[in-house]
Amino acid sequence: MLGLLLLLLFLAAALQPDWFTSYGLKDMARPWLKPSAEHVLGTNSLGYDIYTEIVYGTRDTLFIGVMSSVLTLLLGAAIGALSTRKGLLGGLFNGLINVFVLLPRLITLIVLSAFLGTSRWHLIFLIAAFSWVGTARNVRAQVIHLNSQPFVENCIIQGYSRFHIVLRHILPNLYEVLISRFLLGINSCIMMESTLSFLGFGDLYHPTWGTMINFAYKRGAFMRQAYPYLLMPGVCIMGLSLSFYFISLYFEARREAIQN
Amino acid sequence: MKKYRNSIVTALVCFLIVLVLNFILPRLLPGDPIAYLSGFAEEDMTAAQYERYASALHLNESLPKQFWYYLCSLVNGTLGYSFKKEAVVSALIMERIGSTLQITLPAVVLSTGIGLVWGLHCGYRKNSLRDRLSTSALIVLNTVPSFLIALVLIILLCFQHRIFPYTGLSSAVMAPGVHGFLADRLLHLFLPVLTLTLGAVPSRYLLMRNTVRKAAEEKYVLYARQRGLSDRKIQYSYILKNIAQPFITMVGMSVSLCVGGSLVIENIFSVNGMGKLLTDAVYTLDYPLMQGILFVTTGIMVISIVASDLLCILIDPKVRWGEELA
Repeated sequence: MLGLLLLLLFLAAALQPDWFTSYGLKDMARPWLKPSAEHVLGTNSLGYDIYTEIVYGTRDTLFIGVMSSVLTLLLGAAIGALSTRKGLLGGLFNGLINVFVLLPRLITLIVLSAFLGTSRWHLIFLIAAFSWVGTARNVRAQVIHLNSQPFVENCIIQGYSRFHIVLRHILPNLYEVLISRFLLGINSCIMMESTLSFLGFGDLYHPTWGTMINFAYKRGAFMRQAYPYLLMPGVCIMGLSLSFYFISLYFEARREAIQN
Repeated sequence: MKKYRNSIVTALVCFLIVLVLNFILPRLLPGDPIAYLSGFAEEDMTAAQYERYASALHLNESLPKQFWYYLCSLVNGTLGYSFKKEAVVSALIMERIGSTLQITLPAVVLSTGIGLVWGLHCGYRKNSLRDRLSTSALIVLNTVPSFLIALVLIILLCFQHRIFPYTGLSSAVMAPGVHGFLADRLLHLFLPVLTLTLGAVPSRYLLMRNTVRKAAEEKYVLYARQRGLSDRKIQYSYILKNIAQPFITMVGMSVSLCVGGSLVIENIFSVNGMGKLLTDAVYTLDYPLMQGILFVTTGIMVISIVASDLLCILIDPKVRWGEELA
């Protein structure tokens, strides 16, 4: 419940940022104001209200997190399911999974984003391209488990095509795995994105929370003791991750209740 | 034997993919590869310079031949030449790798150690108050980005209380051999290692706890308890042996987790390690250096994971005694 409430709050901030703040994103005040009643978290080096920046950053953070998680899920489910096929194709995809497990994710991402240049879509595709392994392994394990179940055997005997079985019988049974991977995937994608943005590979035109901390760190928020500027975006990342985690806990509890 | 071969083959393929990726990327992207490989924009170069770089990088030869030169540079250990820093890439990396390892290795040892002991305790006494408290606390900690941990620690311990220094690995006046060098170095290492450990402990703990939880439901644990063995004996002599394999795999994974984490941490604490080198390389668009770092870090991770895989197979009694029986 708490997770849902938190998530709703963040979603509202993403969709209607002007509900939460009376300032526009580019409204200037004096730079480096201390937190006060007018500026809850103070102002940054250009005089923008930090609280407003955080509210407006919600949309981009969520967007990148959700989009890359969706892509991760699609890739992972497809490759995980394909890797259970017999023969060369299955072996190939299985090998692909084993290789990607070994790749150092963060470093590859940094090098690739340096080569490709930074924009929102590049980040989303890159993060998705290197995060699908966990999903694929889970899906693979689950599909192998399902394939040995009597109802699948029954379908094969009745002469349904493989395509039909996968789409109509196996996919619905993957629902639980997929939903929990999706929710936790958003977390890891947001974490990945904010780390990359913090290191300076974010999209400057769509500043996320990670980009904000990067700016705060580079423009000397330390020296000015503007601690809220440094810390609050990180705290928001934490809150968002926790809300998705709580929701996934709810699904897990429901599954256990059904099983018992 | 088949198991050995599998894990080694996968590691080699992974290596090969990184190699090919490194080789193809600058040649596949739009623009002249010479700009990527030398690190200078092609418009800024005179024709003579262009010629010089082209022949130095063997870009005027056929692709297979270029690949061969690339492989040679890997085999003879130079990993290419950074024109921006005017030095051989491997020398640059060797200079910095020490600082990274000084942060990474203690963090790996600490985080896996704490994760193991704590997870063993809480997984064994599942749903006790201590288990529930520490699990929820660590789940919260798990969602905190590592740079946030670092910033909070710096603000609390460096700015508010001035206990620890916050930049570099040693003070300016200290040189190796001077009295107090070691203490100074330890003081500087404390915060980065603490950050990395705090970032890595939660996932280690949760993994261990869940594994132990499953193991604690086995019959042999019940039997051991019935015989009146102490909890400590059951935990460390019975359960630990049975979960040794997932634990060793976890240590291998921790290395890659911590090396990745140290990239971020080094930037915050201004440690002159590989992470700093990598961000420097990215900001100055020093592509050969980036590729070299990617190659070396992949090497470290692949070796650590394969080593843990092999160790797992080696300590498996089924393998050890199976061969004698067969």
